[in-house]
Amino acid sequence: MTTTDTLTQPGPARSGAKPMIELLGLTKRFPGTAEAAVDGLTLTVDEGEITVLVGPSGCGKTTSMELINRLIEPTSGRILIDGKDMTHTNPDELRRHIGYVIQETGLLPHRTIAQNVGIVPKLLGWDKARIAARVDELLEMVGMDPATYRGRYPKELSGGQRQRVGVARALAADPPVMLMDEPFGAIDPITRERLQNEFLRLQQQVRKTIIFVTHDIDEALKMGDRIAVLRNQSHIAQYDTPENLLTSPADDYVSDFIGTGASLKRLNLSRVRDIEMATDAPTASVSAPVAEVRAALLASSWTSLLLLDAAGRPVRWVTSRDLGRAERGAALADVGLPVEAIVEPHATLADALDELIASNVGCTVVVDGSGAYQGIVDLETIMIVVRTVRDEYERFHLAQKLAQQPADGRAR
Amino acid sequence: MTFTEYLTRNYDNLLELGLEHLNLVLVSMGIALVVGLPLGIVAHRNGFLRNPILSTAGFFLTLPSLALFAIFIPVFGIGAPPAIAALSLYALLPIVSNTVAGLASVSPAVVKASQGMGMTGFQRLLRVELPLAWPVILTGIRVSTQVVVGIAAIAALVGGPGLGTEIFRGLRSQGNASAPNLVYGGTLGVIVLALLLDAAFLLIRRLTISRGIR
Repeated sequence: MTTTDTLTQPGPARSGAKPMIELLGLTKRFPGTAEAAVDGLTLTVDEGEITVLVGPSGCGKTTSMELINRLIEPTSGRILIDGKDMTHTNPDELRRHIGYVIQETGLLPHRTIAQNVGIVPKLLGWDKARIAARVDELLEMVGMDPATYRGRYPKELSGGQRQRVGVARALAADPPVMLMDEPFGAIDPITRERLQNEFLRLQQQVRKTIIFVTHDIDEALKMGDRIAVLRNQSHIAQYDTPENLLTSPADDYVSDFIGTGASLKRLNLSRVRDIEMATDAPTASVSAPVAEVRAALLASSWTSLLLLDAAGRPVRWVTSRDLGRAERGAALADVGLPVEAIVEPHATLADALDELIASNVGCTVVVDGSGAYQGIVDLETIMIVVRTVRDEYERFHLAQKLAQQPADGRAR
Repeated sequence: MTFTEYLTRNYDNLLELGLEHLNLVLVSMGIALVVGLPLGIVAHRNGFLRNPILSTAGFFLTLPSLALFAIFIPVFGIGAPPAIAALSLYALLPIVSNTVAGLASVSPAVVKASQGMGMTGFQRLLRVELPLAWPVILTGIRVSTQVVVGIAAIAALVGGPGLGTEIFRGLRSQGNASAPNLVYGGTLGVIVLALLLDAAFLLIRRLTISRGIR
């Protein structure tokens, strides 16, 4: 099979995207059951997009996913990947070119982390040096130091680390397509949030075509470029972008599933990079003379100033009073408040809000991938987004109410 | 003659009998493994065959050992062959049942992930299922070995080799002053052999079980 170098390059995937996965009338009927578990699922996923299958338990979403890599053989229907019919090819060969991540990670407990990540390359017959280089590259990519972790065993890792290795393993042979079955489902909420963000950042680099299964609508809204809300037997209730799902749910089933508080859920859709952050906050180097720092604070309209380290990473917030202490001899690095609320540009506004509430300063610092200061998001900015969304939502429902009024009137 | 004198005089003889005994055990265990492991794998993978296989292997363990030895005399004659046949059958059940139990204990998630990564059924068995089931299987082999070391002493009754010959020589010469020494000597040999084999299993365990699942 071809390697997928072209797919891993970052670039606009949305415009003029070609279909990567096409499911045509996919049906699975288990022997001895009256109803099909999956009934005529037809779905197209564009190259480089994350499509989330979301629905209540028992709706057939996991079965649908396992039909794609043929862990379950379909009763009828066709699977096309990159335009090629995969319905009757060798299933083992097919699976080596589809990344697969499951909730329980399924790491081999008797193999080291390096061996686990190298499984598929080994199956594909790569030589040892190439596998070793790839393993290190991938561990690095998922934020784990190769020297520390490559020789460890899965039981020596935390749940979050194991799931990172699971993702690295799925990416090992650079497959164009990935299937992820509730990959962050068994992880505590805080770590899950972090893994979701890391994964979205990774996806910006690798641009895989992903089918992602979850029962959690918030996770679906956060992760999906498109979301398929499923009802029984994997019937699609609505297949749409997260925005459209929230603003115009197709029917009561969808709006019930999304639940209330749609305007707050929108915070999960807006990313920090999409909104206007304040960049006029006064900053100074933590090693600068105190007089210079005070001058910078005075020159701005802010009441506190952000100290940065040599690499431009935020260190502490200082007020005029803190600077007074520094003038009396305290080190700049010891006065003021440590910077706790930090998010990256791809974080959602919900993340930023979380950080903001948890911190004792009224704003969140935005940093880039290397941790260097980018700007500030404060409560006011976030509230503006919430208000806009709520207004939009209310207008939509008002319009719906007015549209339905005459019909209801006649019925009575 | 005291027991110590007996031991110093018959040391060579006991050592030779001990090696014969060990040989008998190893050959029987080898056959039991070659038959038992595949049977266990088949029983694990095939639901229909599981119960027939397990109950057949269990049936041999219910037979009195003396009878089982005697059954094979018409087929193999007198000597080592009937002993090996009977001991192999005795060793079968712990190996087969522990293979089934070990394979069944492998986490379904690990099996599913291996399959999802494109391992063939055979690769999965060899690289994932057997290594993970190995601690349980090895325990079965160890139990089998201990059973066989003990029962092999009875093989002397069908003309088999090993420490049993010394024990039965003692039992037959009741009244003779050195008779108890022969019985004790043979028994001591069996015990020492059993302990040595157990120590060997501890070593094998350390060497063959991945640190990740210890």
